[in-house]
Amino acid sequence: MDSVSLIILKEGQEAKIVSIMGGRTASKRLADLGLTPGTLLRVVRKAPLSGPVIVEVRGSRLILGRGLASKVFVKNELPRSRT
Amino acid sequence: MTIKTKKEKRLNIVLAGNANVGKSVIFNYLTGLHQHIGNWAGKTVKRAEGSLYYKGQTIDVLDLPGIYSLTTYSIEEVISREYIAVQKPDFVINVVDATNLERNLLFTLQLLELERPVILAVNMINLLTRKGIAIDIKKLEELLGIPVVPIEAIYGKGITEILDRGLKLIGSQLPVTNPQKLRYWKGVEQEVEKLTQSLKEIKTDYPSRWLAIKLLEKDKEVEKLIKDNNPEIIEEAKKLCLHLEKVHGHDSSIVIAAERCCLVSQIAQKVIKTTKLQLISLEDRLNSITCHKIFGYPVLIAILGFMFLTIFKFGNWSSSLLEGVFASWQKCYEGIFGISVFSSLGWSAVESIFALIQIALPYILPFYLLLYFLEDWGYLARVAYLTDNLMHKIGIHGKACIPLILGFGCNVPSCLSCRIMETERERFITGFLTTFVPCSAVTVIIMGLVGKFVGIAPAFGLYFLAILTIFVLGKLASKILPGEATELIMEMPDYKMPHFKTIILQTWFRLKEFIFIAAPLVVISGLFIELLRLADWLDAVAVILSPITVDWLGLPTITGVLLIFGILRKELILVMLATLLGTANFSQVLTPVQMITLALVSMFYVPCIATIAAFRQEFGWEKALAVTGFKILFAIGVGGIASRLLSFFIQI
Repeated sequence: MDSVSLIILKEGQEAKIVSIMGGRTASKRLADLGLTPGTLLRVVRKAPLSGPVIVEVRGSRLILGRGLASKVFVKNELPRSRT
Repeated sequence: MTIKTKKEKRLNIVLAGNANVGKSVIFNYLTGLHQHIGNWAGKTVKRAEGSLYYKGQTIDVLDLPGIYSLTTYSIEEVISREYIAVQKPDFVINVVDATNLERNLLFTLQLLELERPVILAVNMINLLTRKGIAIDIKKLEELLGIPVVPIEAIYGKGITEILDRGLKLIGSQLPVTNPQKLRYWKGVEQEVEKLTQSLKEIKTDYPSRWLAIKLLEKDKEVEKLIKDNNPEIIEEAKKLCLHLEKVHGHDSSIVIAAERCCLVSQIAQKVIKTTKLQLISLEDRLNSITCHKIFGYPVLIAILGFMFLTIFKFGNWSSSLLEGVFASWQKCYEGIFGISVFSSLGWSAVESIFALIQIALPYILPFYLLLYFLEDWGYLARVAYLTDNLMHKIGIHGKACIPLILGFGCNVPSCLSCRIMETERERFITGFLTTFVPCSAVTVIIMGLVGKFVGIAPAFGLYFLAILTIFVLGKLASKILPGEATELIMEMPDYKMPHFKTIILQTWFRLKEFIFIAAPLVVISGLFIELLRLADWLDAVAVILSPITVDWLGLPTITGVLLIFGILRKELILVMLATLLGTANFSQVLTPVQMITLALVSMFYVPCIATIAAFRQEFGWEKALAVTGFKILFAIGVGGIASRLLSFFIQI
């Protein structure tokens, strides 16, 4: 399966980061907070009208602006949703 | 001899860690009220220092800014790594959040690379049970090879143990930390090793291995440093980077970051144990309301509205109370010192201080209390989440919502709260925009002049114009200023019980800081205006200003005087207007167009002196003066155009 942008995922879906298609600053910033290729994450919440996305990663939650989240490409390995 | 050295020896320790892990709580606990908050030399980054006396030793403590990494992403990071490497503190207390251990350890690994003695303080250990997890402290100690102390900072638990372990660590003279234990994957490690060997010959303040890692991360500052010493090593590093990128398929800086993540995951798996399965907690229920797609917004408006109303109501009430008290003091003062040039100059200085207290106590005090309450509770992150989309439209992000909303109360705290923005660029744009938000003093003018004598619609029209201006200027500023817009990226903390002692201490330090900064400026400008008045130059100044006030803005000559007093406190414009015109029924002396124009100019021209002081503190003199100059020109420009347009339409 090809990788998709993180923002395509629905609330509750889990996926693994494949790559980050951003500039150096953006990808470095994400890496500092533990979002590196190979990391598992879960989309917790998406704000309406292209607002930010809340993801759960490494046991805690992060808020990512929509533009930044769209640069994170993931492989939807476990297409199951938790409620 | 030993006694002498013991006496003279001062230990130097630093607190380092991510934001919101309780560093400042520990700092307050250690230093009590013996602390000094200033700025880093030449920087607008807060520097908190203090000292304590412990077991016969004087210990200087420095609280480094909350950061997530030791790269060059922000000035805070550069300051922190330079301080640790160059000043070589006796030991570093790395504070981590127990409920968020894995991500916090990413920073710990970077700190260990700097090869100074580190003590890991695992804070908020008491919140683990609620999360249904436990941390094996012994195991963590063993894996990291440094002392690990579980603490509950807000209750002061474990803090003396940190110091004891630290003193023991210094006494033991053991080799500093153990990069031995924390090695990367073989392929990466080999490259780091190779580069470290080449770097051994260069003398810098930094450890060779750290330099090697930073070169592989393409750190600009380190590249510059090495280039000056031995450009060949840069070439070697470039080759190694390329090799890494070929093998892993990512930028070499990401490869290194992923290595750290990998190490941290392994550690986390070994030390974090799940004790019970999580049920749907209160946390989740609160989140499902406060972050809800629709309901989140009414809740946001209700909370912020409540905050705003409380500050405004309390402010107006206590401000007039204080005014009554101070007014009676003027009689006493005149009774003692008589009425002379010197006594009135003296009084104007006293009056300026009163004016400052009248801003600080009624408005800024409750503001800080409520702000820190919301922060400690965890709501501020939700505000950023909900408003990010809107803020994004003006080139900034969700976090900027807080300063902007607070500006409606008072521009001073809103200016100071711009600190929550990460980069200098965002901080400045937000600070600049907050000075355009109509504060409560401007509301007094708009409502007391336009609202009362012209109509409520034009009054709201002025607010609308202010918001539009902020929008347009925000867009322009983010286009013009160099650098790319940063996207929102922040931790989403769990809600927790606010800790009142922390909130009160934070408020106290901020308030004290504000008064110390603003007092000199307020007194000097108060004296200056009083001198003008005593020398009978105010009318002359009004005449000098008349080409602007009368010819361009179409206002009476005396408004020149008003606008000068308005620099002190904007509501003085209305008060002085009544005094100078001899009537509070402004419709007798001013036309509706003049009233709207005057309110408009008052709203946009210079920030009041306290705001300028706050702005200077956060951004430096140059930017404070530039913004002030810009606002004056902007207000004159818009005021003149508005006056002409309004007269034109009214004639029709």
